Amino acid sequence: MNRSSTRFARKAVLFSSLLLALSNTNAEQATSLNIYTVNYPLKFFAENIAGEHANVTLPMPADIDPAFWAPKAEEVSGLQKADMILLNGANYAKWLPKVSLPLFKLVNTSSEFRDAYIPLSEGVTHNHGAGGKHAHTGTAFTTWLDLSLAEKQAKAVFKALSRKKPNLNAEFVKKFIPLQASLLAMDSELAEIGEALQGQALVGSHPVYQYLKKRYQLNIQSVHWEPEEAPTAEQWAGLKTMLETHPAKWMVWEGKPAAETVAALEELGIKSIVFSPVSNAPEVGDFLTIMQENIAALKAIPTAQ
Amino acid sequence: MINIDSLELSYGDDGFRLSIPHLKINDAEKVAIIGPSGSGKTSLLKLISGILLPQKGEVSIAGVTVNQLSDAGRRDYRITNIGFIFQDFELLDYLNVQDNILHPFRITQALKIDAQVRSRAKDLAEELGIANKMKRLTDTLSQGEKQRTAICRAMMTSPKLILADEATGNLDPSNKTKILDTLFRTTDKNNATLIAVTHDHELLDRFDRVIDFKQYCDLGAK
Amino acid sequence: MIDSLYLAWRYIVFNRVKTVTLVLCISLVSFLPFALKILLNESEHQLMSRASTTPLLLGSKGNSLDLVMNSLYFSKEKPEFISMKAIEKILDSYLALPIPLYTRFQAREYPIVGTSLDYFEFRKHSISSGRAFAMLGECVIGADVAASLNLDIGDSILSSPENLFDLAGVYPLKMTITGILDKTNSVDDKAVFVDLKTTWVIQGLGHGHQDVKTMSEPGAVLSRSDNLVTASAKIKQYTEINLDNLESFHFHGDSSIYPLTAIIAVPNDQKSATILRGRYLTEQKNHQIVRPKQVIEDLLSNIFQIKEFIDAVVFIVAIAMVLAIFLVFSLSFRLRQKEISTILHLGCSRFTVIQLIVAEIMIIVLFSGALCYAALLVLQYFQGEIVHQLFIS
Repeated sequence: MNRSSTRFARKAVLFSSLLLALSNTNAEQATSLNIYTVNYPLKFFAENIAGEHANVTLPMPADIDPAFWAPKAEEVSGLQKADMILLNGANYAKWLPKVSLPLFKLVNTSSEFRDAYIPLSEGVTHNHGAGGKHAHTGTAFTTWLDLSLAEKQAKAVFKALSRKKPNLNAEFVKKFIPLQASLLAMDSELAEIGEALQGQALVGSHPVYQYLKKRYQLNIQSVHWEPEEAPTAEQWAGLKTMLETHPAKWMVWEGKPAAETVAALEELGIKSIVFSPVSNAPEVGDFLTIMQENIAALKAIPTAQ
Repeated sequence: MINIDSLELSYGDDGFRLSIPHLKINDAEKVAIIGPSGSGKTSLLKLISGILLPQKGEVSIAGVTVNQLSDAGRRDYRITNIGFIFQDFELLDYLNVQDNILHPFRITQALKIDAQVRSRAKDLAEELGIANKMKRLTDTLSQGEKQRTAICRAMMTSPKLILADEATGNLDPSNKTKILDTLFRTTDKNNATLIAVTHDHELLDRFDRVIDFKQYCDLGAK
Repeated sequence: MIDSLYLAWRYIVFNRVKTVTLVLCISLVSFLPFALKILLNESEHQLMSRASTTPLLLGSKGNSLDLVMNSLYFSKEKPEFISMKAIEKILDSYLALPIPLYTRFQAREYPIVGTSLDYFEFRKHSISSGRAFAMLGECVIGADVAASLNLDIGDSILSSPENLFDLAGVYPLKMTITGILDKTNSVDDKAVFVDLKTTWVIQGLGHGHQDVKTMSEPGAVLSRSDNLVTASAKIKQYTEINLDNLESFHFHGDSSIYPLTAIIAVPNDQKSATILRGRYLTEQKNHQIVRPKQVIEDLLSNIFQIKEFIDAVVFIVAIAMVLAIFLVFSLSFRLRQKEISTILHLGCSRFTVIQLIVAEIMIIVLFSGALCYAALLVLQYFQGEIVHQLFIS
């Protein structure tokens, strides 16, 4: 073979290698993970950590509580095709026992802290037949409101992504570290606020603050009010009964309450703040910004002198 | 013409001996052979047809010295030139009348079945009154019909010599006469020689010649 | 030769009883060893193909063969149950992926296999029509179930009660068919697949009923207070799950103790498999983890030992049969001596006589061969079904 042919052969090999590398990269990029989550916080964590390497879907409409979503068969079929399904754990998704999903694709982001689940004692029990009493009570499920648990859940998402795409581990690490830092910083801030509040009585509009209460030592008892609905006379009476033993001056709402309700509460000497559990995707902002708003709102409660 | 010269045959442990110095049978002659049982009448038929070979002497048919032919030669000569009729008919019960008539053509390479042969079988059957029984198995036939089938089989090759061994032995009196009539008619038609071994003395006057075989045999030690 | 064949054929047809008997005897003796070989090869294939593609099987300690036969071939022998805790243990180990199996129930003589969707991916099954089950109470049926019961997408199939006399026992559940599997040529063709949770509903661990809080039917509610409602047995429990009552379905108690019959463990790699097996060998007293391939290989070696014995017996029987057939032909030949004598007189050669007899034997042997071949073809067509019924079920 003469020199010019040798040079040509070398160039051809180099060019082919480059093409192959490029096509592999394109193939890698083209096969981004198809991830479904059961709530918005997990969606946020997955999007933050995986970045362009994943399409993350929260399958339920924005105006419903994801925990109580009732998927149709076609929607479940979409879930079945996912590469990964991020679960909250703590019996969060009430629809989960009624659908069929591939076990291999499920990731329980709170499996490492099952012992930290808070059992619920509220709810109606019933019995029938020989089985004895049983309650539809279960477990409190807004685990992410304890930011230390949120950090663990984010870490679980990171680990699941790394197991699925080990070659992208370095990228995932780069993205997880700042998220982890943000969550832990908010956890510290909330701890300070909790300490400052010194057990001041608070009322929660809905029983969703169990983990917030436990982690940050908040003295919060909840009613069953909806922000956009005017409470009934029965509900007002229930609140008043609660205030007799739990003299709260602040009500913590899961969403922006109706102005009339706020006014009526103020007549009772109760002011309102919003601490959104951000279970579903917010219209504006993201998980971190909403949590910052939540923290700011809680911080605004005057502390005992 | 059949010529037997200085023929000697002996067999059996008891020293039976057959000795024929000279016997001549003319063409188209109808000869009856009579004699006591064991006198060698059937053996004569076998000697003429080449089934048995004499220890001495000659048997010739139309100039062919049969006993000097090879085994294959005698078989071929026999199947193409001699027709056999047996006392027990010797039909095959697993073949129908037509197949029995055509049977000789299936057991030798010397004969082949073709359209002409089938036509002859049909004609013979019609002539002998069994054409309507062609597809029937032989065990459904009467004694007379069976013997007529045997006669058809014997006549298929248009033989010049018919050897009948007690052909009427198993028939009732009315059938005996009919079968003999049939036999005589068909041999006359073919201008064939008929040699019939028989015990039916009431039929002897129908033959051209009667040979008493007692003269030729030595029954040997008793 | 044609004429000899014709004469032989006429003889055979005339003596049809003798002919049929001979043909049947020769066919049977020829058929047996080949049939045995076909069935054993098929059983080896069926057993090994499933076993060799199933890396590890976890179940209750006991008879490993029962565990393997029930889990892989859905045989009627049910092993002791294990609980969902075993699934969690495997998941938490990150050594293998677990596929649960609960094969306790039946639907019209077909096994109901409670499992997860991963089973289909693991077994590389695809759905020929419809879709996989998505909701509680839905099922996917095997191709043979669909064909034999004439079922299609949208039809339903009822689970069978375990015991007709146990009125308080397992209730029949009406399951909606959402999909039919492609033909797999395995036991999966004859199974009804449901989500594991659906089998728990069949068992009664989960159920749906009228809302106790709003029930007003007389006699249905025994007592009611703010946080406790006691309903009577009059409460209507749903025997089918549909869009209208799906919301009411719920499970009671701790699901980690819910039962399974086995778990297929798909290890990440050989090292993970070894570690996992080691853990169950040393730590677990109530569970066993087996390699189905090993269990089946042991079973097959026993079967093939028996096969060798059967082969010897068949060989001896075959020799006896051949001698008997030889005797039959000899006697037949002797009976036909007169016929042979006649045709020799007529001018037939001895060679032609031999040809006639050989032709007769040839025709009988050909018929026997054809019958044996046809029987073997039929056997081959149904070998899967026969092996499943005889050896696996």
